[in-house]
Amino acid sequence: MRVEIEVWRQDSPEADGRFETHVVEDATPEMSLLELLDRLNDQLAEGGVEPIQFESDCREGACGACGVTVNDTPHGPVPQTPSCRQHLRAFGPGRGGSPNLDSGSSASANLDLGSLLKLRIEPLRSAAFPVVRDLVVDRSSLDRLIQAGGHVDVTTGTAPDADDLLIGHDDAELALDFAACIGCGACVAACPNGAAHLFAGAKLAHLALLPHGKLERTRRAGAVVDQLDGEFGPCSSYGECVEVCPAGIPLTAVAAVHREKLRAAFRR
Amino acid sequence: MTAAVERPAATRHRPSTFALKQVMAITGVVFVAFTFIHMYGNLKVYWGRQALDGYATWLREVGYPLLPYKSVLWALRITLLVSLVAHVWAAVALWLRGRAARGKHRRRAMPRSMAWGARTMLPGGVWILIFVVVHLLDLTVGLIVAPESWAAQGPDGLIPAYDNLVASFSRPLMAAYYTFTMFVIAFHIWHGWRTLLQDWGITGRRIRVVWATIGALIALAIVLGNAAIPLLVLTGVIA
Ligand code: HEM
Ligand code: SF4
Ligand code: FES
Repeated sequence: MRVEIEVWRQDSPEADGRFETHVVEDATPEMSLLELLDRLNDQLAEGGVEPIQFESDCREGACGACGVTVNDTPHGPVPQTPSCRQHLRAFGPGRGGSPNLDSGSSASANLDLGSLLKLRIEPLRSAAFPVVRDLVVDRSSLDRLIQAGGHVDVTTGTAPDADDLLIGHDDAELALDFAACIGCGACVAACPNGAAHLFAGAKLAHLALLPHGKLERTRRAGAVVDQLDGEFGPCSSYGECVEVCPAGIPLTAVAAVHREKLRAAFRR
Repeated sequence: MTAAVERPAATRHRPSTFALKQVMAITGVVFVAFTFIHMYGNLKVYWGRQALDGYATWLREVGYPLLPYKSVLWALRITLLVSLVAHVWAAVALWLRGRAARGKHRRRAMPRSMAWGARTMLPGGVWILIFVVVHLLDLTVGLIVAPESWAAQGPDGLIPAYDNLVASFSRPLMAAYYTFTMFVIAFHIWHGWRTLLQDWGITGRRIRVVWATIGALIALAIVLGNAAIPLLVLTGVIA
């Protein structure tokens, strides 16, 4: 299977980037996006060209290290799936290829061997994510959000007995749902306003549900919203963040940002 | 996540983005309330000339003699004007902040995106702003775009709102402009109302559904109640 890749190359944070076109002739439908880039890099290395830099670690959707923009969609055309779990078999032919939503094997039916697949791969785009090199971006703006308030900073003493602090089943489940965020930053790149409300809201909603997290709830809300204001944009309810989020964080996380902030404002 | 790039210390905005969003939300609700009540008042047109003219005249007299003539009307006008300035100022400031935050590389809209409600907020808002000016010049002050027969006061001392309205909407282009604008306003309210959920931190699953439904119904009522009037004038049902 032949894949034509238009890929972003940028030598340093200060350098102007550019698109380069390469062709991988021997791609297979089983390949993930990252494996396609691996294959391309092998090819480039054989030709004595610098390989394309991109980030990955677990390659199973758990760590949040990967993330590139494919045909204008952060992570790639398959909704709510990290780049490492996006397989060529699920892509429709042609640029902007309307993705085949069921990524099962039947999807390869519309991908005859030898059909041309065109992918435009660039970094996650946001002013808060400066490009380090090629497809690698610096997402430490998310770390700074976590430093500002995305943590629990209380003295808890020695390890408590298992059932000392009871948490209701529904609260525990909900907290876990919000805790599923892998910190990939795709929501920020998807947002036409460069907002990080989905990421920040997931953290706020998660910690507000748990006994230790609750202790700093008011301070945390102020700190996180302040930090959001400093480095990210406003939310206008585009909802594009939800469409790309590999952890399935819902729009209610975005609402949780202002819920926590308003609650804090009335507690002063 | 590498920290290879030095970033300047975060710059806090003044007023904060949070504050601007609250301005947007509160003034937006003022407009929704106004538009809804205005639509409700417009329904008098279906009861005929006297009903509408009487209503228009009452708007000027309400509160009198306890309050000066037209004072309630002017209080409402000033509230709306202040809200309008604040709403537009906050909208532009937020838009600029969003532009700056997304950076210089623009993606095309995502193929499956359901964000077209949000995308139309600023262009739709600008359309509404222009409409507000045209509408006031047309039917309130009667300058420039008013029909020839526009009158500030009828011989009977009543405000001839009915005749002015019929005269204005008898011009097909004007009628079409008003009708289309009602859809723009309804669309603006439909998405704006959903945004209020995020602005005011409403997270409950059931209340979010109920809230969004109320917004859609308000938007629908405004289209049905208002947009029908120019069409009924054009087809001669209201004359
Ligand atoms: C006069 C010109 C107007 C402009 C330029 C304008 C512009 C905007 C924009 C850009 C937003 C989105 C803000 C954001 O989320 O980033 C917005 C929100 C909103 N607008 Fe307007 N608008 C106008 C008039 C109106 C009118 C007449 C109504 C009601 C009938 C209205 C109701 C709302 C509501 C309810 C919201 C949601 C509040 C929010 O975003 O937090 N607007 N407006
Ligand atoms: S909220 Fe979703 S898209 Fe955003 S960083 Fe977390 S996992 Fe990634
Ligand atoms: S590499 Fe870990 S989530 Fe993709």
